[in-house]
Amino acid sequence: MSILEYNGAAILAMTGKNCVGICSDSRLGNQAQTVATDFEKIFKMGDKLMVGLPGLATDVITMKELLTFRLNLYRLREEREIKPETFSALMSHILYQKRFGPYFVEPIVAGLKEDNTPFISAFDLIGAPVVTDDFVVGGTCTNNLYGMCESFYRPDMDKDELFETMAQCLLTSVDRDALSGWGGVVHIITPEGIMSKTLKGRQD
Amino acid sequence: MSELSNVAGAGQSVPADLREEVLSASTTNAGGGGFDFENHHRNARIAAELAKSGKEGTLPRAKLTGTTICGCIYKGGVVLGADTRATGGTEVVDKNCEKIHYLAPNIYCCGAGTAADTEKTTEMISGQLDLLRLSTGTQSRVVTACTMLKRMLFRYQGYVSAALVLGGVDVTGPHLYNIYPHGSSDKLPYLTMGSGSLAAMSVFETGFKEDMEEAEAVELVKQAIMAGVFNDLGSGSNVDVTVIRPGGETAIFRGLEKPNEVSELRKTVERPAAIKVPKGATEILASKFQPLSSLVTVEDAPQPMEI
Amino acid sequence: MASPMCVGTSILDTGARKAPAAGPAEAQAGVPGMFGLPNVANPAAFCSANLGCGYGTDHAQDIKFAKGTTTLAFKFQGGIIVSVDSRSTMGPYIASGTVKKVIEINPYLLGTMAGGAADCSFWERNLGIQCRMYELRNKERISVAAASKLLSNTMSQYRGYGLSMGTMVAGWDKTGPQLYYCDDDGTRLHGNLFSVGSGSTYAYGVLDTHYKYDMTDEEAIELGKRAIYHATHRDAYSGSINNVYIVKPTGWVKVHAGDVNDMHYKLAEEKAAIAASRAGAEEKAP
Repeated sequence: MSILEYNGAAILAMTGKNCVGICSDSRLGNQAQTVATDFEKIFKMGDKLMVGLPGLATDVITMKELLTFRLNLYRLREEREIKPETFSALMSHILYQKRFGPYFVEPIVAGLKEDNTPFISAFDLIGAPVVTDDFVVGGTCTNNLYGMCESFYRPDMDKDELFETMAQCLLTSVDRDALSGWGGVVHIITPEGIMSKTLKGRQD
Repeated sequence: MSELSNVAGAGQSVPADLREEVLSASTTNAGGGGFDFENHHRNARIAAELAKSGKEGTLPRAKLTGTTICGCIYKGGVVLGADTRATGGTEVVDKNCEKIHYLAPNIYCCGAGTAADTEKTTEMISGQLDLLRLSTGTQSRVVTACTMLKRMLFRYQGYVSAALVLGGVDVTGPHLYNIYPHGSSDKLPYLTMGSGSLAAMSVFETGFKEDMEEAEAVELVKQAIMAGVFNDLGSGSNVDVTVIRPGGETAIFRGLEKPNEVSELRKTVERPAAIKVPKGATEILASKFQPLSSLVTVEDAPQPMEI
Repeated sequence: MASPMCVGTSILDTGARKAPAAGPAEAQAGVPGMFGLPNVANPAAFCSANLGCGYGTDHAQDIKFAKGTTTLAFKFQGGIIVSVDSRSTMGPYIASGTVKKVIEINPYLLGTMAGGAADCSFWERNLGIQCRMYELRNKERISVAAASKLLSNTMSQYRGYGLSMGTMVAGWDKTGPQLYYCDDDGTRLHGNLFSVGSGSTYAYGVLDTHYKYDMTDEEAIELGKRAIYHATHRDAYSGSINNVYIVKPTGWVKVHAGDVNDMHYKLAEEKAAIAASRAGAEEKAP
């Protein structure tokens, strides 16, 4: 077993037309034992920016605190919101600084750029960035998520289509993974704001 | 080397003492630059604990670029080539990643090995070269870049696993170097690196000629990378080529050849209706809308009437 | 006697290595227990190292087996309830959600499946053969005690070879309802209440709280369903369909097959309704 599978998680980010989505499951496990079914793994990092942190739960929390701290420093110094591209660079840097003693998280960033075009990126645990224009996945069932997204993704979906597609990709993937699931949450980032929906998922 | 120190340094208005305070507060070890080993002991114990419980004791592996990269010298210039696949285990993590990294306007560097290491090593040396150019006012030399990369990789004794093909043109002409993860290097007219290096080298060995024209050299490099793309499982997707011409001027051909492009083919396929999820198909338990903060206008609360 | 199934005797074998014509002496002792073994110096050590099937033992192994379970069985005044989930996992991957974990050995005998799916289904089918042979030889049905002993003997023969099986044998014989627990290291226990598998601790929690010998059939079935539902909710490696059987003097009957997820939301509704009525009652009271 990999330590990344200790608590279980499934996170997916997908692009749409002038919108971007990020979703996760809700389980916090202790290996086979389900400890909580309302565990947050996606955090708001700006008006139009969110980050998903799949991996070891203790590091998910530490990483969230660390990112919030660095983000507050950025806001104080720059007096503006961080851009998703900049936030990605910051993420990559924080992770690589711990190249030989990493946090066990593989973050996923989703946001809207200044011109409201979508931006998504993913990282391995030492900060190698992957920037794509369709979807990125992370967690304990990446194989399942890749399979679902490769067949369900269409370019230029509107925000409602994006929600349905992401929700189905997530729910179907976690139903074949023992370590993630127990409900989920989808955030759709639009130029007007963030729509968050809690999904009804299988409870086994 | 810390990004925070760069940001603070760029902002002239930040007073020195405040800057110190911010740096020391940023993280325990971030201010000094270099790597942070804060989690090392914890992670070693996690690994030992996993091993003890009879489970695999290895910690997670970083993303690798199972790669074909190469370069060759032609009449007065250099051509660099790379594939665009990044893998994590047996999974293709990125189908179109960039492996030819910018070092200086006249120097580029292809990277193979651990993705984060190649990315960050070249990024860091690029920054140092930039500072050096600003202080000397001269063009960067390829040999300088080579020495800086070698020193950095040697210092980390191969633990920073970056295998590089460095190419550029400076006042002394075109140069092409191989730099290995432990810090050794070769200087040759044609070079290959990565898991697809044997396939690519076979193309060079049969096709290389001295003093080729640019078009000829680009074609040869393209064929070498294609050999890697088709014959090595770790390499794949597209061919990227960067040409550094005799004067140091560069031409970047991102996706010069796309032998695995399927988007056109995909568009022609009629997808089943099931692929398109109808709206309202997903059961929702709760829904919340958080408007953009700039769109929210805060009005003063009505003041209580004075009596 | 049929020729033993060994490496080298199958027509599909390419014949690079030939096994001795017969397996080890113990394997030949009982005809139904005859089983091919790898052609290596120490088959037991080889099997344990490469074909291990227990929880957490095959993560590092090349061959991974389908497993993961919650099963339970208990005796009560009306007979025996056998209730199981139906999830099968290979590592974290859910390989199936429709596994029949209650093995119908014959109309009066049930076995349950926990541990290696292949080990359980093979050896319990094998047990079925042995029980039928007994019937034909002795002109009467085998007792549950004897049947479970046959299975336990087989397990003892292969002790140390890395088999993985935790099974409950339930049935009705001349002595009434009987329930036994057998596993891969040869353990055989007689008892009133057992639960086996990765989710068994959760099931025991529910069973120990609500179990009474004097339950009606309906109450007992409901308890069996409840215990499995709670286990599937907490245990990552249990889930999907809940199958419930009841053993009666006339043999076993399958009484329920339902999705545990539907059970979850039905119970949640009931809980909410109770809470609402209680709140209403409290409001009235003062």
